[in-house]
Amino acid sequence: MKNKKIVLIIFILVALVQLYVPAKMIFNREDVLQTGKKYKFRTAPIDPNDPFRGKYITLGFQDARITIKHKEDWERDEPIFVTLYEDEYGFAKIKSILKEKPNSKDDFVKARVGYVSPNWDGFNKIDIDFSFNKLFMEETKAGDAEQIYRENNRFDKANTYALVSIKDGDAVLKDVFIDDVSIKEIVKVKQQTK
Amino acid sequence: MGILKEISELINEGIISKEIAEKIKNYYKNKDDNSANRLFVIFGVLGSILVGLGIILIIAHNWDELSRATKTSFAFIPLIAGQLLAGFSLFKKQNNTAWREASSAFLFFMIGASISLISQIYNIVGNLSGFLLIWMLLAIPLVYIMKSSITSLLYIAAITYYAVESGYSYYHPSLFNYYWILLVLILPNYYLLYKRSPKSNYFTFHNWLIPISLIISLGIISHNFEELLFVAYISLFGLFYLIGNTDFFSNNKLFNNSFKILGSLGTISLLLTFSFEWFWKDLRDPNFILDGVYSSPEFIVSVIISFIAVYLLFKQIKQRNIKPISFVFILFFLIFFLNISYSLSVILINIIVFAIGVLTIREGAGQNHLGILNYGLLVITSLIICRFFDVDLSFIFRGLLFIFVGVGFFVANYLILKKRK
Repeated sequence: MKNKKIVLIIFILVALVQLYVPAKMIFNREDVLQTGKKYKFRTAPIDPNDPFRGKYITLGFQDARITIKHKEDWERDEPIFVTLYEDEYGFAKIKSILKEKPNSKDDFVKARVGYVSPNWDGFNKIDIDFSFNKLFMEETKAGDAEQIYRENNRFDKANTYALVSIKDGDAVLKDVFIDDVSIKEIVKVKQQTK
Repeated sequence: MGILKEISELINEGIISKEIAEKIKNYYKNKDDNSANRLFVIFGVLGSILVGLGIILIIAHNWDELSRATKTSFAFIPLIAGQLLAGFSLFKKQNNTAWREASSAFLFFMIGASISLISQIYNIVGNLSGFLLIWMLLAIPLVYIMKSSITSLLYIAAITYYAVESGYSYYHPSLFNYYWILLVLILPNYYLLYKRSPKSNYFTFHNWLIPISLIISLGIISHNFEELLFVAYISLFGLFYLIGNTDFFSNNKLFNNSFKILGSLGTISLLLTFSFEWFWKDLRDPNFILDGVYSSPEFIVSVIISFIAVYLLFKQIKQRNIKPISFVFILFFLIFFLNISYSLSVILINIIVFAIGVLTIREGAGQNHLGILNYGLLVITSLIICRFFDVDLSFIFRGLLFIFVGVGFFVANYLILKKRK
């Protein structure tokens, strides 16, 4: 009987931890969304299906490339910290990349080193892989959304951007906008008028 | 049941007494109960896995119309449902295997479902490996609390997936991979299973899945000396073979002796790869730098595995229970590190494979075992086929060689079958 009590207690503890972890995930993201600083990242065209999480559109970003001195210092997939500032049009720009957490008051976001291109236009450059490069969509909408996203990125319509909340290095992608209208809304209108 | 009809006949003929007839009937009745119970477990588990996967797919639809708050609260519904089912079977249906296994498998999937729903709502890309790591850490207690073997098997499969996702990437920040911790966490369950029910199917499944997981994941230790991985692998296969050769495993049916089958197949296929010239040419290339080899993880892991294997080998030599493949990893170690010329290395490897083939044929003939005999013949045939790729022989000679081996197959099998009569 005593044994059964112990099992009961352990079971409840495990169940609580199982509930706590997703709750904590939600809480952290909500915190970033509510209190984080909002940045607009200009998107760029790029090239999906996740086995667990369904359909999404993949985002690419303009200005997600930075010049570096020595390409040997950076390794593909290496975690980095990217400090940001806002340009005169209100879009996010990269200030610098660091291996350690920045001490300055700049806003920063965790990212990874993407492709390292040696001697690109006479400079060594690296692409930065942001963690917020996927927008999950309802499966019936993802196809249309991707098409709209591509069309609007194709003709240099710079008004396509991702709205991202940033706090303490964590980033949460809120939505993707084309001319300040949510891509979800655009898809909805398009599908209704079909 | 055919035998029950026979029994009444046997009683009538006075061959068995009524008491014995009763005992026989009871025996078969119990046996029937057992197999019905097993079917129940299988269908229960299959059902809950299907329902679990179905829920994940429905979640993957991504319900845009629902508000974020609604969606986040939905994230908990499958998880809580799984927990309630598991709790119910733990306290009300404790002795019912079907309930325990099915509800644990269901909860296992629901943990994944709730995390993936959250990452979808908040567009958390993360990486698949991070997602799997959290999922597995939350799921492992179920294996022990619920005493669920299915969850344990699902867990082993998932951590192998994790090893592949996290271990084989461009960037190796540290030599350490969480896979090893995840693997160590499941080993006590493996041991308990061995103690509790060494004859059970669950134990056999673990015997297959754990070495396969190790074979798939061993490569993640690779850092700078990929070539040394071959040494690590050949010692791993050697170790598996020796484990399969221990009394406990060799008394089992051959199909249940996963360690022996994997060890033997792995050793032979690696040796066949090494029997090509190009492998050693690259390795003996003067440009191949050996700086820091002896402190590389590949080398250290190879040595550790080899030490355990050598220990088992000595034990088996004492018991005079030695098979030709048992020595291969030591020979390979010597050839690899003694820095002999590449042409000599190639010749030595070819001789080893050939010797294994011949000794296996001899063993098969001695034990009157067709499977072993043909395995030996297959080893020699594969060696000959491999040599056809890089040796410049005339077509007539190649043709004759094939005919010779083909005839060998017929004769050897014929002789054994004749001996059996």
